[in-house]
Amino acid sequence: MNPFKYILVIGFLIFSSLKVEAQLDSTQKINLTLNNAPIEELIKNIESQTEYHFYFDTAQLSKKRFTIQATKMPILQVFNTLFTEQKIYFSVDKEDHVFLATTPLLNLILPDSYFTGNTKNTIASNNVNNSNFNEPDEPLNAQEALADNKLYEVGEKSLAGANIITMSGYIKDIRTGEPIAGASVYIDKPRIGVSTDQNGYYAISLPKGKHILNVQSLGIRDIKRQVVLYSDGKMNMEATGSIMSLKKVTISAQKISNVRGTIMGVQKLDIKTVKQVPVVFGEADILRVVTTLPGVKTVGEASTGLNVRGGSSDQNLILFNDATIYNPAHFFGMFSSFNPELINNVELYKSSIPASYGGRLSSVLDITSREGNKKEFTGSAGIGLLTSRVNIEGPLEKDKSSFILGGRSTYSNWLFNLLPAEYKNSKADFYDLNLIINNQIDKNNTLYFTGYLSNDHFNLNSDTAYGYGNKNISVKWKHIYSNKLNSLMTTGYDSYGYQINSQRLPLSAYQLSFGIEQTYFKAHFIYNLNSKHNFDFGLNSLYYNLAPGNYEPLGSKSLVVKDIVAKEQAMENALYATDHYTINAKLKLDAGIRLSAFSALGPNAINNYPSGSPRTEDNIISTVNYTSGSIIKTYGGPEFRLGLRYVIDETFSLKAGYNSQRQYIHSLSNTTAMAPTDIWKLSDPNIKPQTGDQVSFGIYKNLKSNTIETSLEVYYKNMDNYLDYKSGAKLVMNHHIETDVLGTQGKAYGVELLVKKTAGKLNGWISYTWSRVLLRMNDPTAGEIINKGQYYPSNYDKPNDLTLIANYKFSHRFSISFNSSYSTGRPITLPIGVFSYGGSLRTLYADRNAYRIPDYFRADFSMNIEGNHKINQLTHNSWSIGVYNLTGQRNPYSIYYVSEKGAVNGYKLSIFGAAIPYINLNIRFK
Amino acid sequence: MKKYFNYLLLLFIAMGCKEKYISPVVSPATGYLVVEGIINSGAGETNITLSRTSKLSSQTVLFEQGAKVFVQGEDNTSVALKEATTGHFIVTGLNLNNTKKYRLSIVTKDGKTYQSDFSAVKNNPAIDSVSWRREGRDVQLYVNTHDPNNNTKYYQWEYAETWEIHSYYLSTLKYKVGTNSKGATTYSAVYNDSSNYGPDMTKFFCWKTEPSTSIMTGTTTNLASDVINLPLLNISADSWKLNILYSINLRQYSLSQGRYEFLQRMKKNTEGTGSVFDAQPSEYNSNIHCVSNPNEPVIGYVDVCNVQEKRIFINRKSLPDWNYNQSCSELEIPNVSDSIAIKALFLLPTYPNTDPMTGRIISFFAAPPECVDCKLKGSSTKPSFWP
Repeated sequence: MNPFKYILVIGFLIFSSLKVEAQLDSTQKINLTLNNAPIEELIKNIESQTEYHFYFDTAQLSKKRFTIQATKMPILQVFNTLFTEQKIYFSVDKEDHVFLATTPLLNLILPDSYFTGNTKNTIASNNVNNSNFNEPDEPLNAQEALADNKLYEVGEKSLAGANIITMSGYIKDIRTGEPIAGASVYIDKPRIGVSTDQNGYYAISLPKGKHILNVQSLGIRDIKRQVVLYSDGKMNMEATGSIMSLKKVTISAQKISNVRGTIMGVQKLDIKTVKQVPVVFGEADILRVVTTLPGVKTVGEASTGLNVRGGSSDQNLILFNDATIYNPAHFFGMFSSFNPELINNVELYKSSIPASYGGRLSSVLDITSREGNKKEFTGSAGIGLLTSRVNIEGPLEKDKSSFILGGRSTYSNWLFNLLPAEYKNSKADFYDLNLIINNQIDKNNTLYFTGYLSNDHFNLNSDTAYGYGNKNISVKWKHIYSNKLNSLMTTGYDSYGYQINSQRLPLSAYQLSFGIEQTYFKAHFIYNLNSKHNFDFGLNSLYYNLAPGNYEPLGSKSLVVKDIVAKEQAMENALYATDHYTINAKLKLDAGIRLSAFSALGPNAINNYPSGSPRTEDNIISTVNYTSGSIIKTYGGPEFRLGLRYVIDETFSLKAGYNSQRQYIHSLSNTTAMAPTDIWKLSDPNIKPQTGDQVSFGIYKNLKSNTIETSLEVYYKNMDNYLDYKSGAKLVMNHHIETDVLGTQGKAYGVELLVKKTAGKLNGWISYTWSRVLLRMNDPTAGEIINKGQYYPSNYDKPNDLTLIANYKFSHRFSISFNSSYSTGRPITLPIGVFSYGGSLRTLYADRNAYRIPDYFRADFSMNIEGNHKINQLTHNSWSIGVYNLTGQRNPYSIYYVSEKGAVNGYKLSIFGAAIPYINLNIRFK
Repeated sequence: MKKYFNYLLLLFIAMGCKEKYISPVVSPATGYLVVEGIINSGAGETNITLSRTSKLSSQTVLFEQGAKVFVQGEDNTSVALKEATTGHFIVTGLNLNNTKKYRLSIVTKDGKTYQSDFSAVKNNPAIDSVSWRREGRDVQLYVNTHDPNNNTKYYQWEYAETWEIHSYYLSTLKYKVGTNSKGATTYSAVYNDSSNYGPDMTKFFCWKTEPSTSIMTGTTTNLASDVINLPLLNISADSWKLNILYSINLRQYSLSQGRYEFLQRMKKNTEGTGSVFDAQPSEYNSNIHCVSNPNEPVIGYVDVCNVQEKRIFINRKSLPDWNYNQSCSELEIPNVSDSIAIKALFLLPTYPNTDPMTGRIISFFAAPPECVDCKLKGSSTKPSFWP
């Protein structure tokens, strides 16, 4: 083989792939008559009639002779006829270059879009995937669809089936074999679309005949397939990720899923987006980025508690591969406890919450992990200022099963050495571990396993040690019954707990612990009835076991009396069903209902109080003991989940939604932020479930070939029985917590605007939210009325909120990101006067949350530098360098007044008083 | 738990920054009555302080002058308190009947009557000891109390610390200010006491007393027996308090659950740390009400108990490695008016350099005032309890 020519070929491939897409006319017809002609003659003939140019190794093809009699034959048919018989592989790219070889050599050069970064590059070929002369690995109806312009046949032509055909299959990453979750699979005429589940599975019902099938998702190149449907069948597709690409990002023409979906108020982020946003200490953080989305607020910088559309931080269901994470924070809330290297994507539902989710009032944050690489062993390591991480992944059985094991740990103790001497003995460490295994047993059965463990320990130079951690394990089985019906069965165990102990004073040395455990089973079915109706339905069953507080002596000298707040048990069951109903081409309805029932179970002792008078300890009429397993109290009812979409044109739609929710578990926290020592409480006869409903309306418009998405959403929300606390409430080790809490009403409303540029060198988003959250406690029988029974702003009522996130890609190896946010200061209660008591001046407080801290502004900047992209080197390095709080703004975290040495002093506290530079090194290895 | 948040906050301060904040809020004039004190059922002093809440910006205490204050029993006994200084009302030796309930009744100058709820006389066990030990280089004091009947449950402590101060230098000299013939001011160093050239010991021996400024409470509700062993205060390493002799007088009150709660709320409201982990400010559960207007806010919770006291001394001799370091140095100044005016007016003279022949002060040494005159830091009156 002539090496020069070979290099030329590769050079051409790369060069051609960098050029703007040309339109291939596959229907071009030619006339060609050859009789035992050599290759040169053939080429001369075709080149004279068309734009095609041929590249081949003359040594390979010099002995071949070609015979054909073609009159106005489509060019592709000509190629097939000529080359397939001769066992010559051909491949045509969109620059009209035709590559010929006798071995699947060209396929090695151009095996898939990984190398060229574009599946569209090879627009037609007869290579193995095409299986024209090699026996196909699978029947044609389970073909791996690669080339865009090939016509794929689904089903058996001979079968006279129904007019509506169900086609299904998996969409996977061509390089790693990971499924592409949440991708839109749709056709344009008529408008029919579905999205893939988290296993990359889709099932779509389409009219019989020829269609152009589109697949779009974040992080992959768009796929377009010409399909002909004969009968029900399967088609798997392999998508190309746009990561590590040598080619510039192709701007797609049809990013329309935000316009087309019926679900409102859903925000999806892929991990790539998350990693671009500059964060403090350079640790990519999912929850931090989530807080930049419209409608999501947080009380301050040292808190990962989310307040979604006026909800409190315990009203978010945080799921990691179906497991509930009760405390998503590390290191006092500075980091979230999700390892960014293992996350595939994050979805936040803040308005239309699918009926399959329940149990929380405000939102669902669904975090999905990646699957391990099914083709080869790879790994990555990251080194940051405070944390480092290592991940390894690889196939357990090639193309069938894989694993990822990831861990993070901190070495933050150096930080304490920078602090004044009194903190030198402080320690804070944390770790998290993830193990994710998936195993495709056969075509119809896949098993997934997720294990998650996180732990935090700290001791801030005091005698008191703190620790908390999450433990989660889940197993999921996906089964495909038919093209129309598939199911996901999940079972798992979640646990969260914390421990505090102190040994300094031997007489009162103690250990305090709290724990919650839950065991669950979820069955979820998806049934595609026809092109108009798709259903999903299922049941959730959840058993809670909660140890509200164990206070125990520590050491032999301790006089501490063991005190155990009675354990709580409960069962939460739910049945749900949703009909995704395509009424016509423009109108689509998602109608869902969820029937949830919650039963507090014995053994437990419940206090009875007279109705209409404040609940106090002195007021207890009687205490009823319930035996083990007996039902103490059942709450329940329907929850409605409705979504309606009306498409005005391809880029413009209107949506409306109504949602109602019930929440049976409450976090007890008298503090503004989410603290690691917050405890949770189950509903019982004295603590009613929280309920809430929300009406929302949205307008969605895409501009500039759908690369700019704009949306405007308006919502109004009611909340009831939201827990607030009486003055001086005791929350820890309280045997009758109902005497210290108050049920409040809340209302929240707002407008959210989002402009998002999804593609191009410059991408990112601007979001603006105007919203209010007001609470009211006006029940005179509660014993205490807050702010005279008037509505008062909640702690996280920040009416104006503006966020800008922008990334600019200079080259494949260098990009910069800029992040800026502004918001109104949060409400606080300021003193209105002073008085003298106990040897000091002290502050007098009046109305709750009547004032605000100054407005918040912050800007961050980062640069991401990739090492070189040579494929076969052992490691790939990338650096991220940035500055958090670029302007050194001293944003007040809080304002507070203390009595110090006799006087009252007011202080403004900022967590970050200066710009904080950071550097992070990421290493990927094979 | 509180402690953790304090530390956490301090950690953040170290990373971030804490600045003084002046509230833009124009606060209303409130003027609510504030009643501080406890009725001492024993032989000791009952001390009630009346004041008014004032504007946030004022930072001053408005004592309530001219009120009539009584301790009233449910058996219709009544004892008047005497206004010792403005707003401070005192009576000694109440020796109340432990089986009766008592209240405080106040008639203010504007004619309004305020009454506390009747409270039973609470038992208050004697303080077992006030102990101390070294923790690192610091000295940590503890209070130890126990109630053999196991029913006191809630405690409050207040203390007053007193310590002896010695000046770094003895001073035998003082400045004499005169006028020369041109009418200009002249300075010279002369002996304090020309009869014996001795030092002025009132500038050398002083005592400083400081009351506690934070609210200290304790409870044994979660313990098997009513035993208190709590840290009282920490004296940081090499503090001047322990340079010579130190004393602390501890007063112990037993509390009702209501007063305990009242103090806890005040502590949380005013000694918090301002982090978002802090609880919301709470309203006070006062047990004093305006008789004519029950909705008028009044701040105060008055209980009745036999106040217990305990005083201990800590001598520097028991702290051999204590190393209080007052950095003082002297300058030698010629005893010439101009030199004094230029170099030594902000210093105090200590001892002289005399001409051996004439005894005239040629020059003298001078040091910063805080190294010479202890009255700048304390009082030269020796407390009655000082050994």
